[in-house]
Amino acid sequence: MINFLFLLTLLIYLAASIFHTLSLAIGGRAEGSVIRPTIERIAFWSTIVGFVFLTLFIALWWLLQGHFPMTHWTDSIAFFAWAITLIYLLIVRLTHLRTLGSFVMPAAFIAILISYSFASHTAALPKPLQNYWLLAHTALIFLAYAAFIAAFGFGLMYLMAERKIRKKADALLDNLLPSLGISDELGYRCTILGVILLTMGVIVGSLWTQYIRDVPWRWVDAKVISTFVTLFIYVLQVGFRQFWGWHGRRAAYAAIVGFVAVLCTYVGVDLFLDSMHTYR
Amino acid sequence: MNQIVSVGTSHHVAPIEFREKLAFSDEQLIEFLQRLHESDQVQEAVVLSTCNRVEVYALAHSVQNADAAAKMLVEFLARYHRIGVDSLKKWCYLHRNLETIQHLFRVTSSLDSMVVGESQILGQVKSAYDLSRSAGSVGVVLNRLFAKAFSVGKRIRSETTITTGAVSISYAAVELAKKIFNTLEGKTVAIIGAGEMSELTAKHLVANGAANVIVANRTYERAVTIAEKFNGTPHPYDSDLGFLVDADIVISSTNAPDYLIKRKPLVDIMRKRRHRYMFLIDIAVPRDIDPDVSKIDHAFLYNIDDLEAVVASNLKDRQHEAVRAEQIVSEEAKGFYSQLQTFQVNPTIKALHQQFQQIADTELQACFYKATLSDQQEAAVTSMTQAIVKKLLHHPMQNLRCAVNDGSIDHAQYVEALQELFALDVNDDNSEV
Repeated sequence: MINFLFLLTLLIYLAASIFHTLSLAIGGRAEGSVIRPTIERIAFWSTIVGFVFLTLFIALWWLLQGHFPMTHWTDSIAFFAWAITLIYLLIVRLTHLRTLGSFVMPAAFIAILISYSFASHTAALPKPLQNYWLLAHTALIFLAYAAFIAAFGFGLMYLMAERKIRKKADALLDNLLPSLGISDELGYRCTILGVILLTMGVIVGSLWTQYIRDVPWRWVDAKVISTFVTLFIYVLQVGFRQFWGWHGRRAAYAAIVGFVAVLCTYVGVDLFLDSMHTYR
Repeated sequence: MNQIVSVGTSHHVAPIEFREKLAFSDEQLIEFLQRLHESDQVQEAVVLSTCNRVEVYALAHSVQNADAAAKMLVEFLARYHRIGVDSLKKWCYLHRNLETIQHLFRVTSSLDSMVVGESQILGQVKSAYDLSRSAGSVGVVLNRLFAKAFSVGKRIRSETTITTGAVSISYAAVELAKKIFNTLEGKTVAIIGAGEMSELTAKHLVANGAANVIVANRTYERAVTIAEKFNGTPHPYDSDLGFLVDADIVISSTNAPDYLIKRKPLVDIMRKRRHRYMFLIDIAVPRDIDPDVSKIDHAFLYNIDDLEAVVASNLKDRQHEAVRAEQIVSEEAKGFYSQLQTFQVNPTIKALHQQFQQIADTELQACFYKATLSDQQEAAVTSMTQAIVKKLLHHPMQNLRCAVNDGSIDHAQYVEALQELFALDVNDDNSEV
């Protein structure tokens, strides 16, 4: 039953990704404008339905396990997809800008696909980890990652829009990509949000380790180091923007570099390095 | 039966010499409508008179067919303007029923305008409609028709892109600036040199929110004169281009034989302005701005050819969209027409229903009076009677509605026949329309 729910979620996310990508692909063409509103509507509502289903799945899985489902790495990646969708929907709510979905929804779909393909429901979470500290720590960090993915999406949107303006003739035909100023500003705000969430997540994690679990703080942990490198990249980006006016194109590239760092921290460390954060 | 007809002329079919003869001033318009109304031949009318078109829309229900209504309208118009009926027929178009509806929808959608997608026409039709209403010549049918025409006009504007996309160079510049800055609010425009086109562009930019204008010219007096027009700051021209540090949008149109803005100095300027975006518009021939400038980050350069290419591509897009808009208009017109006709046959359908129902009720009462039936039996007989009434009426009603919808047979004949055969008393006041 829970597997079926997850499969259903996976398929809805597939639809959401396809329709989001489609709407961006036909965005600049007049021939596409007949069906585009319909495609956009399907894309958006499948995202909403997919999000509801994913929330249901996580809630159900939580109930079945009796604790926040973060046992296996496949649980975490499903939660990651949930965080990506949540951040995206918040951005839509605040800005009415749905184009971002064309970039983040495929990412969310891939996350669910991986989670579904490798799902294993065998491992049990060690008792000392079963508490709300884990929830706060992981939720904050995954929401931060999701904000960084959104910033990455805005960076790509910026670069695409800039290319379009430099190509000149068709510069005005597309009304899907927001203006450079908007992509840049929203990307920056997502970065700031990500930095705040990640910092909070790290603080919660370290407090939890040191004071609650009474485990000595280890600097030499692959995930810890890698997280600090990621955080540093983003803080640097914010600083450069504030002090040297690094925005626009440079900020877009920085968002891409930052995203790669996030991927390294999240996937790379888990797969190839040993860490106390590794899921088993 | 109701006949909606229109007689009119526009820039498509008639020269200005004729259109001005037919044009109405507001007072004339009201007077004309009142006379038309008093004539008893026309029940409702709206007159639209703009510089590009003069059109009379009318509803006549006492005439036999649409042609008679149109003929009557032409004659009335000829008499009013003291023009010969023949010349009126030569320069005017006549529309009947569905054609009229379709034409009006095309007008409000700006598909019939000189520049397809222009935005004024909807407002013009609205004020013409309001004026006609104040003359007391608008009733339920035209009220409905125009309300629908406005909503179709809006639908076309929201569902197609015929109204979007700049079709002039100066508007293209404004739209491009919005693509870069998002809003022009608080932006500074610098004009280098002088010229009609650069001033027009600056005017549009200011109208869209640009806050400051800097004018640089080799002759300072000239700079002062232009700056006064925009409430801007005049600036003597200096070759180090220092004034560009504050400029977000630069419009250059000088007669200089060489490039005024080269890459190297602009790189320094961009650094000084902390790499804020700069949109450079070069409308000079020979060009004022080195094309290499476009390689600088956050500097976007458009020359006159680029802007023209943008306009051409927008125009192509509009034409494409216009085809789609025509389809929507045509569908909407058909839908509205059949709805209108359904409303016209409704009173007859209702009267027939009532008559059958009444007969059934009377006979039932008589039956119950004669025979003593149990409650159950009474209920059975009643429901049987209802079923008979329903089934008897089913085919006639269905065929009547079909006749209305596909228009193959003149439904007016059906309606008349029904009224005669069943001696129906139909109160044809269109109160339901």
